[in-house]
Amino acid sequence: MPESIDRLQNLLAQVRVDHPDIEETDLSMFETAVVEIHGNVVEHGTAPGGVVYAFELEGRSDRLVGMLADTGSAAPDLSQLHQSVDEMAESGRGLWLAKATLDELGYARIGNRNTRKLVRTRRDLTALRAGTGA
Amino acid sequence: MLRLDGRLNLVSAPRLKVAIDQAVDRGRPRVVVDLGAVSFMDSSGLGALIAGLKKARQGGGDLRITGVNQQVATVLQLTNLDRVLRAHSSVEAAKDGW
Repeated sequence: MPESIDRLQNLLAQVRVDHPDIEETDLSMFETAVVEIHGNVVEHGTAPGGVVYAFELEGRSDRLVGMLADTGSAAPDLSQLHQSVDEMAESGRGLWLAKATLDELGYARIGNRNTRKLVRTRRDLTALRAGTGA
Repeated sequence: MLRLDGRLNLVSAPRLKVAIDQAVDRGRPRVVVDLGAVSFMDSSGLGALIAGLKKARQGGGDLRITGVNQQVATVLQLTNLDRVLRAHSSVEAAKDGW
């Protein structure tokens, strides 16, 4: 399943082509979060028969919204997550990075499925509005 | 020098770690990783670079990076690793003093 990350990133590459209006910074930071959350699902979301997931991306005028549903095990509570790994540690930064690049990272466990909502506000639009006073 | 391209992620990071290990084990502990053609790096890639840095230093050398794009630079900054893995402006600058 790690190779599925390439399929996910290919999808985001296609978004770049289809929506050139989305600032590269917004898309690359959103991509960073998606990849880290996906990696966490792959590495820790063990389930009999493997983890099955579905990803949906919606590009709104003011934000990027991703919905990731998977059949992995229940995820840890991220609300109190802080960056506390040793600077020479080789792992343990993924979820922190996801949280740092998003404006909202929601999570719900319903039945035996996880659902995560990833939201990044589009900075380009925010800056434009700030500049015009709108 | 190791020149990478494409995405440095969960799939490719283990290959980078092996390549650095092999370079150090062959007596070349001063490693420059050129990320100039890398479009994206995640925490797995960071982990491979940190592992390589430790390996290089254990071998009496060091690991330096160059060719960092905006996404990679931001990931380094957000994780406070920009001080540990300082980005050099060119391969030549990375090799300075060696």
